Amino acid sequence: MKRAYWAGALLVIGFLALGLSTFTRSMTPYVSFAEAKAAPRTVQVMGALEKGTSRYDTGSKTLYFTLLDPKSHDSIPVSYTDVKPANFEDAVSIVAIGRYESGVFAAEKLLVKCPSKYQGEEIEKQYGAKKA
Amino acid sequence: MNSLPGLLGFAPGTLAIWAAMLFGVTCALAYLRSMRTPALLPFAENLSPNLLFARRLYYAYVFSVLLASFLLLTRLLSHDFRISYVASYSGRDLPFYYLFSTFWAGQEGSFLLWLFWGALIGLFVLRSAREQEAPVMVVYLATFLGIVAILVKQSPFRFLAQIPPDGQGLNPLLQDPWMVIHPPVMFSGFASLSVPFAFAIGALWMKRWDGWVVRAMPWALFTFVTLGTAILMGGYWAYKTLGWGGYWGWDPVENTSLVPWLATVALVHGMVLQKMRAKHRKINIILAILAFCCILYGTFLTRSGVLADFSVHSFIDLGITGWLVGIILVFFVGGLALLAWRWKEIPVVSDVDAATGKEKEEPFLSRSVLFILSVTLFCASGLVILLGTSAPILTRVVGKPSQVATSFYNVTHRPIVGLMALLLLLVPYLSWRGESGKGVLRKALVPLIVGLLGVGVFFAAGVRGAGDLLILALAVAGFVANAETAVLFVRRKAVKTMGGYLAHIGMSIMLVGILISGVYEKRTTVNLVRNQPVTVGSNTLTFTRTVFVTDSGVVKRPEELNAMDLSDRRAKQAMEVEVSSPGRSVWKAYPKLYTNTRTNQMMANPDVKSSPLMDLYVSPQAYDPGRSARIEGTTFALKKGESKTVEGLKVKFLDFSADRSQVSSARPHVTVTGNFLVTTAEASEEKTARLVMYFGEATESATESPETTLPGKGRLKLLKVSPNEGICEIELLGVAPGGDLKPATGETLSVDVTTKPLISLVWGGFYVMMAGGLTALVRRARDSRQAAIA
Repeated sequence: MKRAYWAGALLVIGFLALGLSTFTRSMTPYVSFAEAKAAPRTVQVMGALEKGTSRYDTGSKTLYFTLLDPKSHDSIPVSYTDVKPANFEDAVSIVAIGRYESGVFAAEKLLVKCPSKYQGEEIEKQYGAKKA
Repeated sequence: MNSLPGLLGFAPGTLAIWAAMLFGVTCALAYLRSMRTPALLPFAENLSPNLLFARRLYYAYVFSVLLASFLLLTRLLSHDFRISYVASYSGRDLPFYYLFSTFWAGQEGSFLLWLFWGALIGLFVLRSAREQEAPVMVVYLATFLGIVAILVKQSPFRFLAQIPPDGQGLNPLLQDPWMVIHPPVMFSGFASLSVPFAFAIGALWMKRWDGWVVRAMPWALFTFVTLGTAILMGGYWAYKTLGWGGYWGWDPVENTSLVPWLATVALVHGMVLQKMRAKHRKINIILAILAFCCILYGTFLTRSGVLADFSVHSFIDLGITGWLVGIILVFFVGGLALLAWRWKEIPVVSDVDAATGKEKEEPFLSRSVLFILSVTLFCASGLVILLGTSAPILTRVVGKPSQVATSFYNVTHRPIVGLMALLLLLVPYLSWRGESGKGVLRKALVPLIVGLLGVGVFFAAGVRGAGDLLILALAVAGFVANAETAVLFVRRKAVKTMGGYLAHIGMSIMLVGILISGVYEKRTTVNLVRNQPVTVGSNTLTFTRTVFVTDSGVVKRPEELNAMDLSDRRAKQAMEVEVSSPGRSVWKAYPKLYTNTRTNQMMANPDVKSSPLMDLYVSPQAYDPGRSARIEGTTFALKKGESKTVEGLKVKFLDFSADRSQVSSARPHVTVTGNFLVTTAEASEEKTARLVMYFGEATESATESPETTLPGKGRLKLLKVSPNEGICEIELLGVAPGGDLKPATGETLSVDVTTKPLISLVWGGFYVMMAGGLTALVRRARDSRQAAIA
């Protein structure tokens, strides 16, 4: 039995080492646009789509647009080489995961958040909740 | 009195929830009181009056919960839009089955569904717990009272101040047959996790170290089957309907249901170990507590809004975050504190060798060790997923909130899965007493040889990764080893006891499917211009036409749509793509791409052609209806005083004036006149352009922009004026050297074409695994019924 515990402990330690190193490597922190421009690694930025800046180049299958930080009014140009996400223009906020290279934030992944119309709060705003 | 209806909302419903709270609390107290008089054996014939009284209170609790559920359902079915919940999640356009599923479309309803299952399952727990009924039911009820409290605070029966004419409708993503059955199965699994927890806490409380495992094991297996089925259903839905490209995306919502399931699998193994060896008691108590707390933690992660920026699912904060944290702390800290308090009292059995007087070492190659290792592996897998999913919260504490890439899960699970496959292979050849290495190797020789042959087949089919090949070899060998044993059991007519082997067969099949379909899928994005064939791999795709597909799968041309299809909005726009490959008949794929009229959201559903060896997955990404050739100049906006130069022609916007004298004429209109300074290489000249805006009924509103000829070359049109900002939009024609003729663009569909080899094994293996779980469930339930425990 003792040997089993040793084997188990070894496994756990080896595995923890693998897990932690992978964890730190695969981390993509949320950063401001300024930090993203300086960072030499994959990061995520979040912002609103600047109106009228999105352009899709069908030849190279690349989407270009500018993200706007509603708080600092900072902006960052983004490129995304893939199919344009559905409802892209309606997005209330866009999360782009990628890295900043030669003047453009090259996104590998976009998370497009659309205004959800299925939230109880919405209808209560419109019709009012009955107060006690 | 005026405020009472406001407080109650739909009074019968709210009162039913309050009654559930009342009966729940009194029932727990009554069970506590019944514990003062010890139960007599045989148990069933000697129920004390106090115990009977507690049972009656439990029935009253069940009745209240069922009543509340029934009332919510009737309100939904009768479109009672006075109620906020009904107005938020349902609508008049929904057919019956989707209307039914709006019950669990929102937070309050899904909590009520959780309670519904909890109440029903409790009826069975109460009988099957027998001598442990009182303590188990106290804890069991307590696990649900927190949720009842949430519903008392946030009632699903709240009224709106005004009554809307129609509801918001059901999220179109949830309008899918799988989403009608997935949540009820999921919540039955969630609710059943309270059972092992209640038994474990009851064990600590009553110091009953082994008996609880016998009674709780069928319930752990019940969770294994229900939660497992629900998870796979969700994956199947994501694969067939959502078009995410796969059945698993390591999304927080998926992860938080997987982790409790992994904990349950670990618990099942730990329970078998304890039952066979009457040892390792602490492991199971810890696992039962953790499995239950994982469900609570998952609920917290997905419903409190903490992960809102990190998931494609939309989460909202209902204002119950504090409650959820409180509930988790009570059960987690409370459970572990009780365990710590009893720790020294839990008997540790040691086999003492009679000859030497020393403790006997359990041989390394024995089932005991194998089971401990498997529990460790499941825990490791669960912990890793928990760590990854919680990353945004953990990193927020030390600095910037960060997310882990999905590769984190894939990289860490390779060694785990490899070791799991190894254990799968070994388990049929090891006894509890232990074996010698040579003996095991001799017995496992045939499976190992088959495993190597399997590697040859996979290598020939193009699998190259060394790690992949190793896992595949172990999985194939594990399949053979367990199948061999299962055949032996069938021959001995011992089918009832082979649940474990069956589950392992299923698991090894799934491993092959998961690995091959995940690592060796091929995805290509192609733009299909209508009627122009494009070849991808061995398939040739031709986008032929746009059609409509009804809910029942009938393909119709736009002109064939009847009133029913349109009124219900049940017919969805789809693209017909003919897929041909040499030697096969033509497959017509109908990927759907349509706009949900309620939300104006673009929805995309893939179409899949399944075959045992390979799935062909066609997922629509974008559709461009194309445009015919037309004249279009250069368009731009100018502020007052601003100028822009196009091809040597400089246009400066000076000012504008509006003539409102015709506002009340027979055809009311306003004429805006813009003044521009136009400069060419030769001359500079002031020019005016007019914009006439007619208004009135929507049909009569129109604008006219007559062209103004410019000096030298070109024409100018005034398209739009924003008087407040002083901005005008103009179009220049005949200036650009290429001319203004824009060529026609073809009708184009972009699709993702993905081939997924052996994905059928994921589903097939899963069925076998669940069959194993059910077999074991039946056996352990019988064991529990027959066991008399002091």
